[in-house]
Amino acid sequence: MTGWLDQLRQALGSEHVLTHPIALTAYAQDGYTLASGRPAAVVLPASSAEVQTVVQILAAADKAIVPRGAGTSLSGGAIADSNSVILHFSRMNQIHAIDWHNRVAEVDPGVVNQDISRALAPGGLFYAPDPSSQQACTIGGNFAENSGGPHCLKYGVTLNHILMADVVLPDGTTARLGNLAGEPDGPDWLGLLIGSEGTLGIATRLWLRALPIPPASRTFLALFDSVEEASRAVSDIIAAGVIPAAMEMMDKLAIHAVEQGAYPVGYPEDLEAVLLIELDGEPAVVDADRRVVHGILAARQVRALREAESLEERTLWWANRKTAFGAMGLISPRYYVQDGVIPRHVLPEALDTIGRIGERFRIRIANVFHAGDGNLHPLLLYNHQDPDEVARVKEAGSEILAYCIRVGGSISGEHGIGIEKLQEMAWQFAPQDLLAQRSVKQAFDPGGRFNPGKLLPTPGRCIDFRPVP
Amino acid sequence: MANWEDCVHCGLCLSACPTYQVTGLEMESPRGRLVLLNQWREQPEAHDVETRGWLDDCLDCRACESVCPSNIPTGHLVEAWRSQEAPEARPPRSLIQVLELLLGSPRGLAWFRRMARWSQTRWGDWMVRQTARWLPPGARSVKAGLPALHSRGLSRRRLDSDGTGSDIFFFVGCVMDALYSETNEHAADLLRLAGHRLTIPQGQRCCGAVHRHSGSPETARHWAEANIALFEQSGAEVVAVDAAGCGAALKEYASLFPPDSPWQERAQHFQNAVQDVVQLLADSLPPLSRQDANPVTVHDPCHHVHAQGIAKETRSLLGRAGYAVTEMRESTLCCGSAGIYNLTHPDKSQALLTRKLAQIPDDATYVAAANPGCLMHMQSGLSAQSHKQVVHPVDLAWQAYRDAGLCATRSVTS
Ligand SMILES: Cc1cc2nc3c(=O)[nH]c(=O)nc-3n(C[C@H](O)[C@H](O)[C@H](O)COP(=O)(O)OP(=O)(O)OC[C@H]3O[C@@H](n4cnc5c(N)ncnc54)[C@H](O)[C@@H]3O)c2cc1C
Ligand code: SF4
Ligand code: SF4
Repeated sequence: MTGWLDQLRQALGSEHVLTHPIALTAYAQDGYTLASGRPAAVVLPASSAEVQTVVQILAAADKAIVPRGAGTSLSGGAIADSNSVILHFSRMNQIHAIDWHNRVAEVDPGVVNQDISRALAPGGLFYAPDPSSQQACTIGGNFAENSGGPHCLKYGVTLNHILMADVVLPDGTTARLGNLAGEPDGPDWLGLLIGSEGTLGIATRLWLRALPIPPASRTFLALFDSVEEASRAVSDIIAAGVIPAAMEMMDKLAIHAVEQGAYPVGYPEDLEAVLLIELDGEPAVVDADRRVVHGILAARQVRALREAESLEERTLWWANRKTAFGAMGLISPRYYVQDGVIPRHVLPEALDTIGRIGERFRIRIANVFHAGDGNLHPLLLYNHQDPDEVARVKEAGSEILAYCIRVGGSISGEHGIGIEKLQEMAWQFAPQDLLAQRSVKQAFDPGGRFNPGKLLPTPGRCIDFRPVP
Repeated sequence: MANWEDCVHCGLCLSACPTYQVTGLEMESPRGRLVLLNQWREQPEAHDVETRGWLDDCLDCRACESVCPSNIPTGHLVEAWRSQEAPEARPPRSLIQVLELLLGSPRGLAWFRRMARWSQTRWGDWMVRQTARWLPPGARSVKAGLPALHSRGLSRRRLDSDGTGSDIFFFVGCVMDALYSETNEHAADLLRLAGHRLTIPQGQRCCGAVHRHSGSPETARHWAEANIALFEQSGAEVVAVDAAGCGAALKEYASLFPPDSPWQERAQHFQNAVQDVVQLLADSLPPLSRQDANPVTVHDPCHHVHAQGIAKETRSLLGRAGYAVTEMRESTLCCGSAGIYNLTHPDKSQALLTRKLAQIPDDATYVAAANPGCLMHMQSGLSAQSHKQVVHPVDLAWQAYRDAGLCATRSVTS
């Protein structure tokens, strides 16, 4: 019998099977820079049928599989070890159909998130989940991570927007989960797979819910001299019953970074915090909400309030916010972004605590977060060439997550567990909870071949992801 | 300037990169190329044909640079790699020498124009068809994309300077001067209509972009010195240029010289004075209102939008001239021309061209593209289904102002 590599080459064409060591090195990392691993090979399938063939060939050869979209995962989800083959979805990137009447888009897993809203726009529709990485990340990655984004405050995360999906399961069979009506009949298998980080099934085709673009939308920047006042304003707004489409916050260090990046807004230099607030819906409702929000901001000593006057201005403000993680590269060699969630009312205290943890470990921390739903993104800045600092960054990170759990929050809002937060899983979940999760994995993937070493801490199993440096 | 080490691996550049779009390979993405550059430096065993190929496929289009939140100059870094570390990846020396002869002086350019024109005569066309089998595919498509050439000469010979007190040094370029001389004349007319006075030094040289991209910076530097000196003598305040590629190169003149070179400050002064004609005209021509204008779509050349941040201006110029602009999708994605990429990488170049042409809206009659490489390359793909035309936005604007009686047609023979 021919070897698995030859079988893959036969099935996909040899140009779509990569084994060159330098090519594999290019695939050694995703957006999480604290680890890396070189896969055994990379394959680029072009259809669901090819994915199924690949899974079957690799199951017979007892090789593990790591799906990969754009490799923007911030938890190491797309990193593979030397016994794994990466399935890169860059060639499966077609939008197959848009049902304008029923508002459903049928897409390949490798379609870039932003391209979906672009394609829907001419018909007055959009796809709501908008991770800040939306210009690059793929819908398959969003499916696996149950990704969120600024506008998920009002519209909900990926889970609420995938109606149906075709998946290939670890045994090489396929299944169609969910239905176009969006109402599960029987167990919600689709819901189980969304957010399972590619450990249970690989999505090969997805049917997404499209929403009408709201008739009115207004975007504001509220500039603050105190992080605390800004945080309190966030709580007040939600308490007043207003649900903004988005409510994002950046602190001083984050602002400092984005202002040096590709999309400077022109924030004053001495600013302590900025809130980016968007209201949308029926014009009358938006106007009423706007009055409430203005009142609250004024009471919370906002220094200045600006309203976007044109589409360009709104786009610029969002680009400025959405490139905030990447802009850390301008003020630090590397960054480690966290994803803890806390109850909204502890926001002011949480920022203070994070600041103190930073001081204790001598780590600079910038904060960018989805303030509306208490999803924090502390950005821990470090130099990857300083092993001591790398160690301190990891410790400080763990401590922040421990704090999130302590105040009743969780360790991940939207970036996933991946290989990053395995240890913290055991803090968040009781042993019997973990056992239950493990039995689900066992039922789907007894051989442990889909994304091994991710999501669930596996006692006794050692995976050779290499810490960086 | 940031370096490959500063890349934080966010991946935001992937979807902007044309070579990643057409290959789907991480090695052909900006982020992947930075990993490859690192490997190249650290591991001599990385110096093989495959790795060199993935790096060398880079178009220098700079799309990655305009989206990178960490300001990593990936396109520039690959260019530097090409000239310093991978002489094998450069185009063949013979090609560079030919280009040097043809583009380097007004005499060479006049020759170039005559050859191109000859290829359009009945005999020339016959010859080209007979020898097509032996011509590289890129060269055949260049021939197919050539504008219709009349018997007039280089634009610099046909343009008069306005004498003392001119505020603008009009940079005629090389390919623009030879093959798009009408466009240069139109640009001059419109600049004058907007109230400028022009000087056109006859000794000006090619901007040097092609040589620089292909790893021959010495030639580029030599020509830059000549242009800088002429600009200083001219007393003008602005260097006006109507080719996106030349504009981008002229705006980077200072980086051609070492920091301690006596030319550094002069080059800085020069590059700060450079402005694209589209920028100069965007808001300064009288607005026309026309009902009958054919719809136009805009292709944003990489060296406009990514290297110089010019995009809005093209639309406002066309809008002022009375055209209705319908946007094409992916207007900022490289068309595959990329300097001499269409000669050196015919397959990838064609793949990008096909993708680009598919995005032209059905109702657009004209595609405006402010760069000779894009004009030729895109026209070469269109020639068969001829009702659409790729035209420089300056030409479109000029036609509108001529129809309005504000510019006069020139005689064809000089
Ligand atoms: C600058 C930046 C900003 C970000 N902002 C946000 C944000 O606002 N909100 C947010 O939620 N996330 C954010 N992220 C994280 C990341 O972009 C998301 O997790 C995204 O969904 C990953 O998509 P991807 O295509 O890059 O997937 P990858 O990184 O390639 O993979 C992610 C995971 O999905 C699995 N996977 C990929 N494709 C499939 C498939 N077809 N079937 C099954 N499993 C698959 C992989 O194995 C991996 O475990 C951000 C990342 C960056 C770098
Ligand atoms: S310059 Fe263009 S082709 Fe080269 S890496 Fe950047 S985006 Fe890709
Ligand atoms: S956008 Fe910039 S920082 Fe991000 S991966 Fe690309 S080159 Fe690196």
